[in-house]
This record gives sequence, structure tokens and C-alpha cells, in this order.
Amino acid sequence: MSDEDQTQKQPSLEAHQTFWRRAVFSTDHKVIGRQFLWLGLVFLAVAGTLAMLIRWQLAHPGAPVPVVGGLLFPATGGVVSPAAYTALFTMHGTIMIFFALTPILIGGFGNFCLPLLIGARDMAFPVLNMLSFWTMFVATAILTASFFTPLGPPAAGWTSYPTLSTAVGAPGVAQTLWVLAIYLNGASSVMGAVNYITTVIRFRAPGMTFFRMPLTVWELWLASILNALFVPVLAAGAVLLFFDRVFGTRFFIAGSAIKPGGDPVLYQHLFWIFGHPEVYILILPAWGIAGDLLSFFSRKPAYGYKVTVGALIAIVVLSGVVYGHHMFVTGMSPLLGEGFMVLTMLISVPSVILGVGWLGTVWRGSIRLTTPMLFALGLVTVFGLGGFTGLFLADVLSDVYLHDTFFVVGHFHLTMSAAVLLGAFAAIYFWFPKMFGRMMNEALGKLHFALTLVTVIVTFGLQLVLGYAGMQRRLVDPSAYAFLRPLMPLNRVVSQAAFVMGAAQVLFVVNFFYSLFRGPKASANPWQVGTLDWTVPSPPPHHNFDDIPRVFVGPHELGNPAVKAARGVDFQRQDEEPPA
Amino acid sequence: MTFAVALTLFPALPRDASAQGHGIDAVLGYLTITTAVAFGVMLLILLVALALHRGRDRVAHYTHGTRPRDRVAAIVAGAAVLFGIDAVAVVRSASALRSGFWRYPDGDPRAYRVEVTAQQWAWNFRYPGADGVFNTPDDVVTLNELRVPVGRPVYLQLTSKDVVHSFYLPNFRTKIDAIPGTVTRLWFEPKETGTFEIACAQHCGAWHYKMRAELTALTEDELGRWQGRAAADAALRYDAADREAHDGWPWMPAP
Repeated sequence: MSDEDQTQKQPSLEAHQTFWRRAVFSTDHKVIGRQFLWLGLVFLAVAGTLAMLIRWQLAHPGAPVPVVGGLLFPATGGVVSPAAYTALFTMHGTIMIFFALTPILIGGFGNFCLPLLIGARDMAFPVLNMLSFWTMFVATAILTASFFTPLGPPAAGWTSYPTLSTAVGAPGVAQTLWVLAIYLNGASSVMGAVNYITTVIRFRAPGMTFFRMPLTVWELWLASILNALFVPVLAAGAVLLFFDRVFGTRFFIAGSAIKPGGDPVLYQHLFWIFGHPEVYILILPAWGIAGDLLSFFSRKPAYGYKVTVGALIAIVVLSGVVYGHHMFVTGMSPLLGEGFMVLTMLISVPSVILGVGWLGTVWRGSIRLTTPMLFALGLVTVFGLGGFTGLFLADVLSDVYLHDTFFVVGHFHLTMSAAVLLGAFAAIYFWFPKMFGRMMNEALGKLHFALTLVTVIVTFGLQLVLGYAGMQRRLVDPSAYAFLRPLMPLNRVVSQAAFVMGAAQVLFVVNFFYSLFRGPKASANPWQVGTLDWTVPSPPPHHNFDDIPRVFVGPHELGNPAVKAARGVDFQRQDEEPPA
Repeated sequence: MTFAVALTLFPALPRDASAQGHGIDAVLGYLTITTAVAFGVMLLILLVALALHRGRDRVAHYTHGTRPRDRVAAIVAGAAVLFGIDAVAVVRSASALRSGFWRYPDGDPRAYRVEVTAQQWAWNFRYPGADGVFNTPDDVVTLNELRVPVGRPVYLQLTSKDVVHSFYLPNFRTKIDAIPGTVTRLWFEPKETGTFEIACAQHCGAWHYKMRAELTALTEDELGRWQGRAAADAALRYDAADREAHDGWPWMPAP
């Protein structure tokens, strides 16, 4: 594509002048990215607080929650009732997945970084981009409203299986609001996905071939493809569930006992056809960020970049055909069970190749342990631990025992929550200077990292142990079972680690706000790397690039002796011609 | 206290009381050891790199990782996991599943059959009585108490009255969902007498955690004596007009 084509496609528009169009209903991808980031961070705090309440109850079943208990649960004198507990874990999961991690990584950093990284002035569809954020905003408003309904918040789990989530098990308006919020959240995701896919295909700067894109762009793009393909499947399930709840249809409501009717298991299929790709939608951007950062802060190119991209594509394809492992104990036929077991196990191969790429990148590097790098290394460690435990759940035989135990909870928290969260922190510490024009505090950042990493491993690692010993998920009081009573001390240890983890996030909040106003001014390229986002001022001007850049090299050209000899720096800007 | 915590840190499986459980425990053990080794190798490489290849004064080794030996490293790591962990686990598990979890004792005259109806928040167990036919007046029904013989396959068919539940036997390493509108199946064989816990594993509402029942494995003599008493009780309690109580179904043939 010629330079003229790109300049024609991306005219240099005037910046909006009014406050409303500039800061609220903006179509600028950088503003929208920051809006998603704020929204995600607020809900991360909400969902994290819910997790603290869950952990309090599991450590001290029946004891009133200290300090805030009387305020939150006045009817029970501050004690988490069984009904309140089910609402806590339902809203914790729902908010973390759909309203915290997705907005931060895909909405926030996807929006902010994608055009900058490929040399575009904005997204392909700026108005759709704005609509995507405001649809998400309405979804969060509806979900927030569901907390304050007469019969209490939604409580059917983040998976909301029928018939528990139909009028049979969840009367009241809260669950209906949950369904609406999920539907609108999905609509927002699909709008974003269409935009990202198109932007990457059409708006790459001249010379920015697919194999010169940063891994962050590759993985945002692949996550967007999964979003566009699979979120509509969840939406279909949500619509049918909405009909069952509101219009009295019986898509998922069976006749009583063995009499004919709808099929609750149909929803499980729809949910997991979406749900398994969803975990990759969450982790892919985090992997991408880690892949780039490992290269940047080892001062050497990403190891086996093309092989890594190939492995990613293999994972994306496989992620669409393995969902059945979530349903091994629904009475699935042996043929299907064995098929899903083999397909799921196969994901380990491209995943290991991805890991080889990470290790090969840091190996013999000149490693700089900056805060973003530490979080990227933390992601690799935590994802490694979580990833290998996935094999236990891919295997039908061990899954039949481990299904619905804390082993599953530990596994998915390590992989798609803790690893994603560490990736999100890496992204925040790394792009904060570009977003807000100021540096974050490194010492506070490192302390935040150390406390977070240790507590993440203790909390979720010990959850694996609890599950291995047979403890089911979602029990308000595990000591109701004799075989779980010996595990109560371990539950308390998990909770104590989780409390420290929660407290450690205060360091991040302090660092974030202090740096926002008082941090040292950031230069255009504080990390000394060559991708296009760091070739423009911090923060970037309204149009990102006064002239659409021309790209000559890949994103990870660090440590090249020829560049060092010619220019005296150890990195090569993507928009500079390499030395002869 | 510290000692108690250290003890519980050891990933102890519940006592195995089933004839099939050792196969599952063996695969769990294999996966634990092999994944621990794989993760350990990964961590070791990472830590060595962090210890030795750190610092501003080092010159990074400039490579894109596209040399033949880099390809070999990726292939070796991939193959190690594919053949060392995945293939072994799949083969062992498939064979254990085919001779266990999935080999329902349909033709086995020794099989001890029970119908299980789950409801919020209890388990109903229906035994066929002397005639061996379900949903007849001589059926014995118990609540949250399942009595089975030792040394014979116990064959359950399950459904639910309201929401999805999951029938979970930690000591027998098995579970199956109980789903409204569907009949699912599960079998296991107790190898020792005793009382074991039955748990609900699927979130089924606020009192999910109280959906606990007990399985008692008895010798044939003990079971026979209980069946005699239970049949007499059942005859006394049977009420043809109480339609709610007739939640059994004709035993489903193998699909």
C-alpha cells in the first residue's frame, strides 16, 4: 500500500474543542483507551473487595466481617449469609472477567496502543469506538443496579447455568439485569473487535507488514478475531435465557424430573463455546505485552518471533474446538469425551513453544529489571504454573475427580486472572508515561510487584492443593463436610495471603495517583525501544503522527551490533532506515 | 499450629474406597510429577538467566532465534510435553475410563441399581425393592442416605427436580451431574465397608453447601437385614394418592 493511500485514508482531522467532545464523548482512541482503563480499574477494585469478603468467610465461616460487616450485611449483624456468599462469588467472577480485566487490557490498552503501534492516526471506525465504550458504560450501570434489587444481587455464579439462573432458581429482577449487562458487554466487545480487526488489516503504516507488528498487536488482533467469532454465541445464550426469564419460553427449562421440555445443557454448550475462547481473549493481550516487554528489557530481539506467532495462531484455532472439557461430567458420550481430551491436551504443545520463546528471549540478554519487566517475568512464572495444571483438567479421568473443586479455581485464577492481572500491571507501568506523560515510581512499583507475586502464588497455588484434597468450589462453609474440616487451617492461610495481596494494591493506587500529578515528566522514549508508540511525544498529539511513518524493520531490533556501531544506541527505531 | 498447616499443605487425596480409584490416583500422580518437573525446568532456566544475564554492562547476545538449533530447542520442548506428558496421560486415562467410568455395568446381573433424584438441597435415593422394578409400590426410598453393598458394582441413574446438581463421591474419585429433564448415569464399586460423604459439587443455590448425604457400604448380610426392615417400612408408608412421592422412573436401558 502506498504512502498516499494511507494519508488519504487517514486525514489529519481537527481536534475537538468542546469539553464534552474532547473528554467525554470523544472519538480519539487515546481518550477512549483511558476511559476503558479508568472503568476497568474502578471495577477491579470492586471485584477485588468482593474477593476479600469471600476469603474472610472461607477463613472464618460465620464470624462477622470486621469493620465493614455491619454496613454491608446489616440484617445478619455483619455475617456473610449463604445467600450473600453466592452473590459475592457471582459478582466477583462476573465483574473481574467482563468488567475489569477485559476493559483494562482490550478496551484500555487495545485502544490506546493499537493505532500507535501500527502507525495509524486512529481506529478505522472512531464513532463505533466511542459507541463501544458507552455501551460498556450502560452495561456496567445495569450490573451495578443489580446489586440494589429487592431480592438481592445475582447469585447463580458467573456461569449462570440454567435452571438455577431461570425463574426456577433465581426469582427477582437481579438475574435479568445480569443477563442484560452481559449482553450489552458482549455487544461492546464485538464493536471493539470489528474495529481492531479492520484497523490492523487496513491502517498499518507503509512498510508495517504483518511480521513487523509487535506481539502486542498480533495478540490483540487474534483476541479480537476470537471476540468477533465467539461473543455472539454467548449473546445467543443470553437472549434465550432472557426470553426464558421474561417471556416464559422454555429453551433451557426442562419439564419436571424426566418429563420433556427445554434443555438446560444447551446453555452450557453455548456458554462454553464462548467461554473457552474467552479465556484466550483475556490472556492473549497479556501474553503479547509480556512477549514484547521481555524483548525490550532483555535488550535483544524476541526469540523465534515467527514461530511464536505460528504457535499463537495454533492456540487460537485449537481454543475454538476444546470447550467440551468444561462439560465432562454432564454425561457426555465417551467418543466426545476422548475427542475433547485429545484436542485440549494438544494446546500444551504450542503453549510450550510460546514458553520456549519467552525463555529464549531473556536468555543471554542484558536484563533490566524495571517494574514492567518484573511484571512480565511474573506473568511467565504464574502462567507456567497455571498452564501446566490445565493438563489435569484436560484429562477426563482426573477431571472427573477435580471438576468443580478448588483445583479448577486455582488453575483458572493463575492462568486467566493472576497472569492477566500481572500483564495488565506490566502494561500500566510500561505505557503510563505514554498515556499520561509522567513516569511512575520504580521503588513503589517493585515493592508492589514483590508483594503481589508472592501472594498470588501462595493464594492460588494453595487453592490447587485444596482442590487436590477434594474441596468443592462455592461452599459458604466447607466445614459442613467432615472430609474438608482438616483443610480449614489451609483455607485460613489462603485468606491471609489474599488479604496481603489486597493490601498491596494500595501501593499501586498511591503510586498511580501520585505519579499522575507529581511523577517526573516522561521523555518521548524513556525505555529506549524502537516501536512506533515511542517515536511520538509523551503523551502523543491528537493525531499521533503528523506524517504517517514508514516502517523498515521489525519491532524488536535491540542489541544489533551494526546499529550500536553506527548510532551509539542499542535499539533501532522501526521508522528509521537500518544502517547499511 | 505451624505443624498442622505443614501437614495440610501436603496434597492428600481423600481415602480411596473404590475398586477403580487407584487408576485415577496413578494418573493424578503421574501428572503431578511430570508437570512439576516441566515447570521446575522452566523456572530453573528463568532463574539462571536472571542471575547471570542481568545488568547494564552486559552486551545482549544478538539473535532472532532462527538458527537450526533454536528450532531444535522448540521441537524438543514440544515433543517432550507431547510424548512425555500428553500422550502417556491420554493413553492411560482412556484405558482406565474404558474399563471404569465409561464401562457401565448394563449387562451385569450383580449390579446394584439405585435411582437418585436431586433437589434443592437434598438427595433422594430410590431402590427397586423385591420385584427389582422401579416406580412400583414396593420401592424403598431414603433421604440423604445411600446404602450399598461392598464388592459389587453400584449403578446409579440420576436426575434433578429443579436445578443442576452434581453427585460427588470424593472417596470414590468420581462425580456426575444431576440435570433436570435428563437421566445421567454413574457407577462405582466400593472395596471396603464404611460410611463416606456424598457432596454436591455444582452450585445449586444458597444452601448448596448443605447438600450433603452419606453413603454406607455394607456387607451383603448387613445390607440384607437393612433391606428387610426398609421394605417393611416402605409398605407402611406407601400412599398411592401421594403423586409427589412417585418420582421414580422405569430404569433406562443403555443408550
